[in-house]
Amino acid sequence: MKAQDIFSYSFSAIKLRKLRAGLTTLGVIIGIAAIVALLSISQGLQNTITEQLQRGFATDTLIVSAGGGFGFGTIGSSNSGFKLLVNDTQIINEIPNVVTSVAIIQRVGYVKSGETSLTRYLVGVDFATYASIYSNTFVAESGIIPLVPDSEMIVVGKRVSDLWGNGTLFCIVSDNVDILWTNATARPPKNETYTAHVVAVLKDIGGLGIGGPSDFSIYIPISQSQVFFGTDECDMIIVKLENDDEATIKSVSDAIKEAFSGQVSVTSATAVLNILSSVFSTIELFLAGIAAISLLVAGIGIMNIMIVSLMERTREIGILKALGMKSRTVLMVFLGESIIIGLIGAVVGIASGWGLANVVAIIFRRSGVFMGGNQAVRGDQMTITPLLTPTVTVLALVFGIGVSVIFALYPAWRASKLKPVEALRYE
Amino acid sequence: MKVIVEAFNLKKTYMLGKVPVNALRGVNLRVESGDFVAILGPSGSGKSTLLNLIGALDKPTEGKILIEGVDISTLNDDQLANLRLQIGFVFQFFNLIPRFTAKENVELSMAIAGLSKAEREKRAENLLDTVGLRERMNHKPTELSGGEQQRVAIARALANNPKFLLMDEPTGNIDSKTASEIIGLVKRLNEEKAATIIMVTHDQRLASESKRVVQMSDGLIVQEVVN
Repeated sequence: MKAQDIFSYSFSAIKLRKLRAGLTTLGVIIGIAAIVALLSISQGLQNTITEQLQRGFATDTLIVSAGGGFGFGTIGSSNSGFKLLVNDTQIINEIPNVVTSVAIIQRVGYVKSGETSLTRYLVGVDFATYASIYSNTFVAESGIIPLVPDSEMIVVGKRVSDLWGNGTLFCIVSDNVDILWTNATARPPKNETYTAHVVAVLKDIGGLGIGGPSDFSIYIPISQSQVFFGTDECDMIIVKLENDDEATIKSVSDAIKEAFSGQVSVTSATAVLNILSSVFSTIELFLAGIAAISLLVAGIGIMNIMIVSLMERTREIGILKALGMKSRTVLMVFLGESIIIGLIGAVVGIASGWGLANVVAIIFRRSGVFMGGNQAVRGDQMTITPLLTPTVTVLALVFGIGVSVIFALYPAWRASKLKPVEALRYE
Repeated sequence: MKVIVEAFNLKKTYMLGKVPVNALRGVNLRVESGDFVAILGPSGSGKSTLLNLIGALDKPTEGKILIEGVDISTLNDDQLANLRLQIGFVFQFFNLIPRFTAKENVELSMAIAGLSKAEREKRAENLLDTVGLRERMNHKPTELSGGEQQRVAIARALANNPKFLLMDEPTGNIDSKTASEIIGLVKRLNEEKAATIIMVTHDQRLASESKRVVQMSDGLIVQEVVN
């Protein structure tokens, strides 16, 4: 019997029981849709985060901070009394494979223009070095970033100037603004203030930055920050390496730790990315596993329906065999039915899963999930663009058909093994 | 005359629960090309069992069957399926596929044989014409009378130019008036198309139209009469 005829015979059997076949197919659709939706959302999310991280954060940099962690909550000195100082960059610069390094002092302070004041990060850095490390992001959109700045000069992030990204300007180049900071460690706490001059507004960076420039920060010259905050201790030192080879990252990290007798922690951007991507793979696998369970249920549904259909059609199988159909062909007729169900289920499932992912992404965008608000990790609103890779599409297709066929194997095999004379006698 | 079917000392024992039933107890039969054999006998005499064995739908417990000289016990599953392709079966309960039209039912056995769609359609139409159903070939079995359904079944049995026809009480499930039409058709097939026919029947009228009547009782052939 020709393959095409086997297929059309299978199809005629499915058409006969539209509701039942439809419900069975629905099981496959739900399973596949769940897998596709979850995978495309999580891949989209992963892409967004990785992309934003890479934008605000160079892979050939290391972040050195006192004690443990890379700055999360470690303002000021660590428990051991060790202090990372601004001019420790000199020690780090001596280490082979280090291009340069920059110390960062950052505090939460206020910036006031007219009657409006904002809470912002005040970041003290050496403009020239910082610009050389983040040559793509520490770039002026208007004004000029001075390489040798006067103490009252400041550079502001895009969202300090254009507050909401809609043209509401807080300050522009050549404005004077007041910088305020409360020294809470002084007894009694003391408010410090000075008038600064905006010399440059950074271009829009977007995304998250670890150590790198951010749209929400105000950059003041490092020497000014030392005087203003009354400290020589820095919060972190960003180190630029010759390259982002794993060996370089490792050797420099070790050398830095050794230079400071193990009292600093060194975080590599690449390591953070790797951790994130492995976390994502795990989450993805977990989600796909849950979705796979629904597909398994669909598979059992297929098996159930095929066994029922086999009993109903015992006599028909007897007729087919009496007419000279080979056992193998009977098997193919039944498998053909499951292939059709699996194929329709997978195709509709992929389409509806993709639709579902987009709906979720739109809801996500509206509710506006906000990331950030930490000393080292800052960001703006995230948008997720669901991603349906060809691999996922093909996998979903194979999976949908595969599950259908596997669960149909037993009923189909039973059908093919029926003895013609007994099948014909079946009522 | 060429010998089509030969059966030697056929025995068939069924297990009915734990009780063995000797359906056939040593049957010998020889059917030549162009023959028209009617097998008569009361219920349980083994007529249908004999027919199923000759049609390769079942296997004998003992003895052997030669079809055109080939011992069918030596054939494997696929070869048996191929053999069944060349045997035309007609059942008491028609056994048409309900979701297919008359034409599609006739086409089905040719599709199993691997014929192309165009060939199948042409031949199915001719066959339905032969059995007088050209006008009703696009009707489904439920829209056809018993006699019409049986004629579709006969057309289907003829589809692959079978070596012989096996009919299991072809008039057993239709009224006597329609039965006469079927009897006429079967007789015509034998006389005009030289079809070899082996038929199980209760119908004395049908039996009297055959060339040879084989009387069975208790799993044995007890009498053979040439008409």
